This record gives sequence, C-alpha cells and structure tokens, in this order.
Amino acid sequence: MQKIQSKLKLLFIFSILFFLSGCEEFKDVDKDVFVSMIGIDLSEDKDKPYKVILKLFVPTSSFKQNPEANYTYLVEKGETLSEAIRMLETHIDKELDFGHMKLIVIGEELINNNKTKEILDFLLRRPDIQLISWITVGRPNAEEIVKMVPAGETAAYPSLYNYFDGNGTESPYIVTTFLFDFRRRMMDNGLDPILPIVQVSENKTTFTVNKSFVLKDKKTPFELDSLSTLVFNTLSMNVQMADIEVNEENELFVARLDKIKAKNKVKVQKDNQVSLEIDAKLVGYIAESENALNMRDLPKYSQLLEKEAKDKITKFMKLLQSEGIDPIGFGLKYKAQTIHHKRMSTEKWKEAYKNADVKVKVSASLKSTGSIQ
Amino acid sequence: MNTQETLLWINEQFSHTNELVQKTLEYEQKNIAYMYIKSLIDNEMLQKTIIKPFFEMANMEQFKLYVQALPQFEEVPAKEQVLLEIMNGSILLEIGNELCLIDLKLSKNDEVSSASVEMTIHGSQIALSDNLLTNLNLIRSYYRQPTLNIEYMSLGEVNQQKVAIVYDTEKVNTQALKLIKEKLQRVDKQVISAANQFNNYLNDKRFSLFPQMIMTEPPDRIIYNIAGGKVVILQDGSSQCLAAPVVFFDFMNTMEDDYHTVIISTFLRLLRYLGFFISLLLPSIYVGVTSYAPEVFRTELALTVAGSRMGVPFSSFVEVLFMLFFMELLLEASIRLPKAVSATATTVGGLILGTAVTEASLASNIMVIIVSAVAISTFVIPVNEMAFAIRIVRLLLIVITSIFGLAGLTLGFLVFILYLTSLDSYGEPYLRVYNYKKNKERSEGHL
Repeated sequence: MQKIQSKLKLLFIFSILFFLSGCEEFKDVDKDVFVSMIGIDLSEDKDKPYKVILKLFVPTSSFKQNPEANYTYLVEKGETLSEAIRMLETHIDKELDFGHMKLIVIGEELINNNKTKEILDFLLRRPDIQLISWITVGRPNAEEIVKMVPAGETAAYPSLYNYFDGNGTESPYIVTTFLFDFRRRMMDNGLDPILPIVQVSENKTTFTVNKSFVLKDKKTPFELDSLSTLVFNTLSMNVQMADIEVNEENELFVARLDKIKAKNKVKVQKDNQVSLEIDAKLVGYIAESENALNMRDLPKYSQLLEKEAKDKITKFMKLLQSEGIDPIGFGLKYKAQTIHHKRMSTEKWKEAYKNADVKVKVSASLKSTGSIQ
Repeated sequence: MNTQETLLWINEQFSHTNELVQKTLEYEQKNIAYMYIKSLIDNEMLQKTIIKPFFEMANMEQFKLYVQALPQFEEVPAKEQVLLEIMNGSILLEIGNELCLIDLKLSKNDEVSSASVEMTIHGSQIALSDNLLTNLNLIRSYYRQPTLNIEYMSLGEVNQQKVAIVYDTEKVNTQALKLIKEKLQRVDKQVISAANQFNNYLNDKRFSLFPQMIMTEPPDRIIYNIAGGKVVILQDGSSQCLAAPVVFFDFMNTMEDDYHTVIISTFLRLLRYLGFFISLLLPSIYVGVTSYAPEVFRTELALTVAGSRMGVPFSSFVEVLFMLFFMELLLEASIRLPKAVSATATTVGGLILGTAVTEASLASNIMVIIVSAVAISTFVIPVNEMAFAIRIVRLLLIVITSIFGLAGLTLGFLVFILYLTSLDSYGEPYLRVYNYKKNKERSEGHL
C-alpha cells in the first residue's frame, strides 16, 4: 500500500512538470519569423560601420491563395553585427529564426574594405545560421540585391536561391560557394576564397550572376570576368556542362561540353622550380556553327577545340599567376604532397607559383556535329 | 458408494430446480431409469439412441451391451464428476443397478463462423466457433500429426469453463509450456467468460501494456503457431484463442505474408512497419519540429505550417492532444455502435468535425492531415491488441516531446525500445527475431 502511495505521489509530481512546459525553449512555429536572406553592407556612419538588411518571409496559410512572394525587410546599423541584429529584434514582434536562411549577401564595399574576417566570424558563431548557406557578393551593395524581388518569384522560395541550388539554372558561369567552404578557403593557405558576384540586370527585373571575386589576404579582391569564371568552373569541375566558342582556321563553332574532367598536378624540380600540369578531358558535341560541318571531319574539329581550350586555360592560368591568386588550390596540393621539412615557406611558394611553368594538356572528343545528316 | 446413494445425492444437488428430469421405463421385464437436465439434451437423439432401442431390444442383456457400444458411452467416475457431466449435457443412465453416462449434448453454437476480427483477402476465411469441440475438430483436421496433444482443464470456480491447451509435443517450447500450465493452475477466478482473459490472468505483472499472448481466430494462423512451437489455449464459449509465447514481430505479421510472392509481401511488410512508425511517431515529430526545431522542415513547409497555425489558440501539443482525443473517441464510439449507425458516426466525426475544426481555426489544416494519417496507419498494424498498445505509447511520446523537444522524443523512443527489450513472453525475449532453427538448437541445448 505504501509503495503504491509513493508511486502515486511520483506520478503526481511528474504531472505537475507537464504544466511547466511554458519554458523558454518551447515556441510554437507561428511565433517565429523566418529570415530568407541577410545582406551586410558598409554604412556611411563611422561609429556604426555595419548595416544589416534582413529579408523576412511572411507566412501564408496557403500558397495557392497567395502565390506571390511576400516579404518584409528590416534594416539596422550597428557597431557590430550582433548589435545590429539585437536591435532588429526590437523591430518585430516575433523571434527571428535564421534556420531557414540560405543566402548571405555581402556588399561589395565591405569586401573591398577587407572586412570579411569579422563577418565570417559572426556567421560561424551564430548557431542557427547553417553552414550550408550560400555566400555571395552584392553589387553595387547588398541592400539592393536583398530588396529586389524579381518578377515571377514564387512564394517561399526566393528566385535568387535557384541560381545556386543546382536545381534551377545550371549555368557554368555561376560559382557556388557554401559558407563552410568559404571558411575553409579563408583558413587554408594555398586555396583562395572565391565568391560569386550578384548584380541586378539592366532592365531591373532579374539578377545576373556571371562574375566572381577571388579574395586575397589584405589586398583588394580580384574580379574574374565571365570567361575566367567559366574556365575556373571547368578546371575545378564545379559544372557538368559548358560551352566553348572556337574561332580558328576559318571555322567558327560552339562546342557544348557535357562531360568535363580536369586533373591538376604540381611537380617540383630542383631549386624550387615548380611546374603546374593541367590535364583536361572534354567530351561533347557541336551546338552551333557558321559553316556546314562534316561528320568525317570531327577529329579535326576536336583538335581545333583542344587548341582553343588550351589557349583559354593557359591565358587563365597566366592571369592567376600574375595576380598571385590560387582559387584552384595548387598551393594546397603542393602542401599535401610534400613532407613538411622539405616544403618551401609560404612566401617562397608564392614566388614559385608566380614563376611556375604551366603545362596544359587538353584532349577533346566531339561526338557529333549536332545535326542529323 | 452404491448406485442408489449416488442418485440420491445428485437429486439433492438439484433440489432447488425443476430442470432435472427423472424417468423410469418398464416394459417386458426390462427396466431402466435415467435423469438429465432438460435444456441441455438433444431430445431427438435421446429418443433415437435410448428410448427406441429400449422398446425394441429383446432383453436387458442385449440393451446393456448396446448402450456400452454407443460412442457417447462413458463409465461413471466420482459423484462430483457425474454432477459436472450432467451439467455438461450428459444423461445419467441406470441399467440393472449400474450407472453410466451418455453424452447427448445439444449444442447450437458449433457452427464455424467467418472471420470477423482478422480480415484477409487470401487467407483462411473461416474463424473458430464458440464450441470447444468444433474448434478442436477444426485444428485436428488441419494439423495431421499424432504428436498434437490436447490437455483439458476446467477453470472458473462458478462457471467451470472447459479450457484446452493444444500443442505439438515435439515442437513445443517446453519451458513456456511448463510456465503456462503452472500459471493456469494458479488462476483463481470466479467466472471465466472468454479466452482473452488469460492474457491478464497469466500475467504476473499488475500493469502491463504489451500483450504477452497473441489473440487469433483463423485456423491457418493457429496451425502455423502450433507448428512454430507455440502453445495454444482454447476455451469453450470463446471464438478466439490465445497463442504463446510471442515476440513483437508476430504482431506485425499476417498469414497473408506467406501467400503472396516474395516481393509483394516484402513491400507489404515495409508498408506495415512504415505505418507502425508513422502512427507511433508522427504526432510527436509534429510537436517537436514545429515547436523546437522548425529548421528541420523544408522552407516552404515551415512557412505553410506557420501560416496554417495562424489564429489557432492552442500550443502545438495541446492541438495534437485535442485532435487525437477526438480521434480516439471516434474510434471507440464506432466499435460499440450498431453497424447501421457507425457509418454516420464516422462521417460526422471524421469529415464534418475535421472541416469544422479547421474552419473555426481550433486546429491547423496540417494537424487534421496528421491526425487522419495517424488514424489510418494505426489500422495497418495487423493485430488489434498491438494497435491499442501503440496508441498509448504514442500519447506518452507526445507528452515527453512537448516537454523536452526532439531530444526528448529520441530519448523516449530509446526508452520504448529498452522497455520492449526488457519484456519477455513466457521466457521468450519479446524483441527477438523469431528463428525456427535457432529456437530448436536452443531447446536442444546447443546455444
């Protein structure tokens, strides 16, 4: 009897616990407001250098009734990012939830002013920002990018996401950098961070993403133009598809590559002479041509493509070398394959990288002229 | 004790009732006397097997031999036993100062019914009847082995119900058989009305959630269980039988699994386990995810959930409990109702209440979807008792999740598995995958 009584008492106490469920962690989903993207800009105010722009989803009960995208924006300046966000929390009645934030836009000015380290630190420390969010540069500033809603955007999935998630457009001109990858590139020697540049297109209705920034330590970032971005994507095998225009020996055609394989090697000779070897295999077909093409001449076209691709890659590599930037990661490769006491110092490697021999080998095979004869 | 004394004693026992019929027949130097209970006897049989031959036989000697040759003939045991046999539908016959019993029971409940609890498409369509002998006949005629053994007991102090324990002496799990017999002997109840009660009576624990025996009715499943080394308990007047020992996975099996092709039955089994987990976890996951970790959803889904909860006055867990409560009410009500009304009840409850609740924004649309998904997947669990147990575990998991979030749900689920592991059914670990070969080796002492 005593035993049952004590058991009943325990049960009673536990049932009281149930009423305590209004504790701090329990929060219904309708009391949260989800942030869709964050923009970080440099403000004009000297004391409060950071300007944070949040784009918030407005929840609807049915996307069928409200198919149009609906957002609210919060803007605040602060001395630090946390301060700005803390102030932003006073601007809205609900809890800010960064769990669904997939995109971080950093203003171009901030990048030019070399503030990336501080921003990265904030982004990494905040627990509800996911490391799989994409990080981009907004041109001319983040606010313009964040606040723009292009025509035809569906509710709950901002169209800017589609540029990076690999489900929408799969253009070879788009560099996709995840936050975790960005951090790794920031921390590592011999692998430079690269960020896509998001612009608003001329007619102000869509975004344009086809350029990128390579960050260098303590220096202004170097901008890769569209073509260089394409070559970078090809060499780092970020893309499955690419177009290469070939204009040689009176032929002008566009090769559409649907299989791209690129290997790179670092070979060290004596007295710190380095050679970078790139071995690319391109498979594809001809998508467009000025002249009539003959099936039998496919090997010839392949050779032309090889030549063109080799030219482009060599040019790209020369550009990287002259600027001393390394987004592909030759330096990391060198470090990985050399024992530490035989390794040259970072400064020496930089010098060696600039003067390195570039050997590019391309083997292209075009499978078809793209038309039925 | 002589014949007259026995007769007197029996007469005395029935002195309060006028159901006992006593007759004496005398004809051409032949005389017999018999007594029986009027409502238990098949009059036609009595007339055919006793009365008619009595008048046709030449002498007493011949009639006595005739009676002894009858298949229903039984020697007279102790007088208490005689009393019991009379109450079971035998007539007590006195021939030349000797007593014998003849079973002339009239049974109106010996018709095999069609399956009503365990519905199948491909499996056996018949179920047990309410009559013990018919049931045993069914089992014997489907299980042709001389090793099939049947032991009888009568339990229940007041109603003296006949109980049969059926097993295959070669295949049976001897340890479990011993335990079951011991526990059956210890059963001390006044009235035993259905076999299902043994699930509780043979259980030493005061509170138990999961069934220790499986309740079943189609003969193919009974045969399968006997061949698998299980002990089957049948009871007179009960159209369901119990099989033990069981493991958890027995409750997730149907006989049809063996009747389909391998791929189909694997698919169905997967479906069933999926349904099991949905009915167990979905409401708690809803509470945990919406209130503690909305990041887990896809963005669109998170926004839809958040949007559909707009205007709902309750917290997510109150909402879940509230809707589940009505679902349980609906389930319970539709069992008790006559068939003609139950269709209306489900329509009113399911359709009208569902839409009205969302329109009055007492619960979100998504909640209604979840509750119906849970209700449907609960029905996927093939054995009813397990479904009942799961319904209770589900409630506990919701409570834990609303206090401790997704971590609590994970931990609660772990505790649920630990609990299942700690259970055993008559010496058989509850969560063990049943394996005939290993079972045999174990019983032979190799493992």
